[in-house]
Amino acid sequence: MSAYLLLYILFAPFAGALALIFVPNSRPLLVRGVAVASSFVSLVASIYLFYAYDAVRGGFQFVQKFPWSTELGIALHLGVDGIGVPLVLASAILLFAGVFVSWHITDRTKEFYIWLLILAAATIGVFMSLDLFFLYFFYEMSVIPMYLLLGMWGSHTKKYLEMTDPEGLKLRDSVGFIFNFGANSKEYAAMKLVLFLSAFAVVALMGILLIYKYAGLNTFDILVLREHAQLMNIPVLGTTLDKIIWILVFFGFASIAPIWPLHSWSPVGHAAAPAATSMLHAGVLMKLGHFSIIRVAFEILPETTRELMPIAAVLCVFSIIYGGLVAFYANDTKYVIGYSSSSHMGYVFLGMAALNYISLSGAVIYMFAHAMATGMLFAMAGWVYDQTHTRDLPSLGGLSNKMPFIAGCFVVGCMASIGMPGTVNFIAEIMIIVGSWNKYPLQVIVAVLGIVLTLAYLFKMMRAVFYGPMSQKYSYTRDAVAMVDRLPLLVMIAVSIGFGLFPVRLYDVVRSGVDPLVAKITYVMPVAQRNEDSDSGRDDRTEASSLIPLSEMADIARPSITYALRDSQ
Amino acid sequence: MTFDLTLSVADLLLLLPEIFLTCWLCVVLIVDFSCPRLPHTRLAHLSVVGLAITLLCLAWFDVTRVSGTLFNNMFVLDRMAIFFKMFIVGSTMLVILTSTQYVNRFAFFRGEYYFLVVMSALGMMFMVSANDLLSLFVSIEFSTLGFYILVGYLREDLTSNEAGLKFFVLGVFAAGLLAYGISLVYGETGKLVFSDMTPPATPGAMIGFLLIFAALGFKIGAVPFHSWIPDTYHGAPTPVTAFLSIAPKGAAFAILIRLFLVVLAAFKPLWVLLLVAVSILSMTYGNIVAIAQRNIKRLLAYSGIAQIGNVLIGLAAGTKMGSDAILFYLLTYLFANIGAFAVVIAVGQAIGSEEIDDYSGLNRRSPFLAFAMLLFLLSLAGVPPLAGFIGKLYIFIAAVREGLYTLIVVGLINIVISMYYYLVVVKKMYINEPIDPSPVSVSGPMKAVVYIGLAGTLAIGIYPQPVITWVVDATLMFSRAIGPAAGVAPSLPLFGG
Repeated sequence: MSAYLLLYILFAPFAGALALIFVPNSRPLLVRGVAVASSFVSLVASIYLFYAYDAVRGGFQFVQKFPWSTELGIALHLGVDGIGVPLVLASAILLFAGVFVSWHITDRTKEFYIWLLILAAATIGVFMSLDLFFLYFFYEMSVIPMYLLLGMWGSHTKKYLEMTDPEGLKLRDSVGFIFNFGANSKEYAAMKLVLFLSAFAVVALMGILLIYKYAGLNTFDILVLREHAQLMNIPVLGTTLDKIIWILVFFGFASIAPIWPLHSWSPVGHAAAPAATSMLHAGVLMKLGHFSIIRVAFEILPETTRELMPIAAVLCVFSIIYGGLVAFYANDTKYVIGYSSSSHMGYVFLGMAALNYISLSGAVIYMFAHAMATGMLFAMAGWVYDQTHTRDLPSLGGLSNKMPFIAGCFVVGCMASIGMPGTVNFIAEIMIIVGSWNKYPLQVIVAVLGIVLTLAYLFKMMRAVFYGPMSQKYSYTRDAVAMVDRLPLLVMIAVSIGFGLFPVRLYDVVRSGVDPLVAKITYVMPVAQRNEDSDSGRDDRTEASSLIPLSEMADIARPSITYALRDSQ
Repeated sequence: MTFDLTLSVADLLLLLPEIFLTCWLCVVLIVDFSCPRLPHTRLAHLSVVGLAITLLCLAWFDVTRVSGTLFNNMFVLDRMAIFFKMFIVGSTMLVILTSTQYVNRFAFFRGEYYFLVVMSALGMMFMVSANDLLSLFVSIEFSTLGFYILVGYLREDLTSNEAGLKFFVLGVFAAGLLAYGISLVYGETGKLVFSDMTPPATPGAMIGFLLIFAALGFKIGAVPFHSWIPDTYHGAPTPVTAFLSIAPKGAAFAILIRLFLVVLAAFKPLWVLLLVAVSILSMTYGNIVAIAQRNIKRLLAYSGIAQIGNVLIGLAAGTKMGSDAILFYLLTYLFANIGAFAVVIAVGQAIGSEEIDDYSGLNRRSPFLAFAMLLFLLSLAGVPPLAGFIGKLYIFIAAVREGLYTLIVVGLINIVISMYYYLVVVKKMYINEPIDPSPVSVSGPMKAVVYIGLAGTLAIGIYPQPVITWVVDATLMFSRAIGPAAGVAPSLPLFGG
């Protein structure tokens, strides 16, 4: 049974979407039932996956390989390592929560759930793909459902163009400024999102095609390519090929992450999207970027990664500060959360850039933690919007009288987002900060300032929405009372706090994925020597991780958080 | 040169599909004349049955690997010819199914409509078997003759007349170019049969081949030769537009593959430049102009120009894998395009308009048609898990192996551009609210075509291996013909089937 575990997780939402086609729209309860059932199967299977994954053995487990096209060298090769497992779990949790968060959608319910399930299944597919083709296949497949979800069930951003900075200058969207087609509508947001992501996806595809061509192995299999692809030292265009491929892959995938100059589609998209879509978008879709960079650039081009990853360390500073400042000045609940997400993704890039065991583990845990925290915030912003029909901060206020449960959860969500001790975000943030300190002290200082900024804008938003005087027009609003409304929030809070208090399992799983990767990147043997070694079982990842000098590991792991970090050695 | 015209029955077996279809055509025509009261849909069914039997016969040829040449190599039946014949017969069947309702609009000659469609198909079936410059010329003109009449079939409609006239004038011009090109090539080489030819590198021969390419470029609508496409597609009866956008392109590509990979294999460095230029122009021009279109038929016309640019990438690769990719791509294009046109016809019947604005809220009026159109357009745009994505990727893989990076970069950029205008249609259908919310009904045959299109688009997209095996097998003869210049020769056993 457990051999096919990944297939259950991946295909349960697809099967649900397929089944929904045959359910009439006139029976909304049945529609929701099918959606709940399929997402529940996926959730249970991914929880089982999380605990069944053997963190001591590490490496890729639950591997499935089905030949798909021999001529093109493509196989449906699925497998998860310690990096994929938590992200698969996060996707399944957010899908499950998202199904409940969208419980009150009455317009074309069936179609909504079909596209939501396809979106989630496609993201899960990326997290378990071990084949470059399928990685791209699922990646691109997740984009189109976003278009329809935003366009059909999204909301217009009325106040967007009125957003001003303290001097009264209008802040406007860069691309909207160039192609000014109704720049504050949901159609615009949806179109921008799709075009932006597709444009950068084809950049990454170019990188993938170059890997395919120059590896000359007639395969897209990541496991084969990372062992046998010889992409180094081929001079092209005044530089070497590996650098060009790395840049293509990095920026292609970083656009969805979104790293600073390429972020502008993301907050617009968050704001226009319905709550469940924002949750999946911010929670897992953005992590496709980091994950794909780790899977493609880190695995296949480790030497180049070591050389070029400082690019991310530079850009992440802008991500953190820019996102934080815009979030502070934004007057729209979803913009605040959207920009806070793109700011927080800068931490993940910082953790990835530092390239050591602690910081990279921190980055992966941060992806998981951020999925929960931002999922909560978006779910509640969606609830507030459904009740008040506005996302404008100045016109909101005092809603804690009417919705004490939501207000209470919102506080927890903010705490998680800030990284209060007791939530899993704290563990992740501390690990990133501690792990990156030796290499990038300046960036760490910025990251800490970013936390202060996060505190400022989230508290500002919390006060503006839930406290202070309440306008009479909101007297009809109501709290989340029904179980279906409370369940998603409770699940996400439970996961966030649960892993915050008992992070050892999460940490072990993540470390088992990160260790061999970092070992490979930081202790790379000369190419010639590697060729000789390639026969003698170098794919045994536990052996690879034994190359790490223990003294150095202890050096990095020494700081005060050792209470949480059980040394895996 | 003497023509050996003694034929054995076994030789005639190779011509069986064509002979059968010719006889069936006569039957259709006789039935039409002798029973004037017979509803024309019966004739449609009769034609479809005939085509279906032809298709079965071709499938039998394909399975039993019948092949050979006739009339001193003028007519060749190899596996690629069988593939393209099935392609043409299949698309003709689907076109006739989409026409059954539409034909009611014609005031006269409803029965002859089916005759003309099948006759054009017959011409194209000869065309894909042409292995000789003379049979090439005759079969091209044979198939185009039917189209000249079909395009102007809506006699009271001025745009249809304009379309017919434009198509005719430019078509005849292309025929002139073809004839002139053939005469130059024959003058230089002294040979007519493709496989015997060893063209010298003289200006005369090169200009001759360039003219032949121009005439074929006219058939496929590649960019410098595209000017007839938008108006003709717009004005022609929609089923004819659908037919015109698929079958002649397939037939012309069969000739182009034979011409470039067999006759001109030695001149590859030269024609790669030509094809790269034409391909880049077609993709970019088609996609950029499509953005401005307000009429769905014109949009599909320009998108068709861009798609042809994509197919030409495969031809520019000039390898066996490139020709596999062309066959594969054309098949995915067949399903997506015929499906899209079927939706256009169905919507046109129901609301009497082909403007994109009138597609507003189609999702509320007919969820089935809107969903089908969504998938067809996304397949044309190349979005996974639909067939078009695999087709594009196949082409790109074939090109990247040959190092055609410029083409791939332009092709990838064009995917993004095309995404925009396809999504504009999607936006109208799904996001905008309908002006008139009355439901749109779909007739039975039309539904069947849409279902076939959906099945092909999804099945090839999700599991393309059977089709890939088929196309790889269909072009096996080119694994030899291209020779070492292809650069993939050492790794052939890996993907040669």
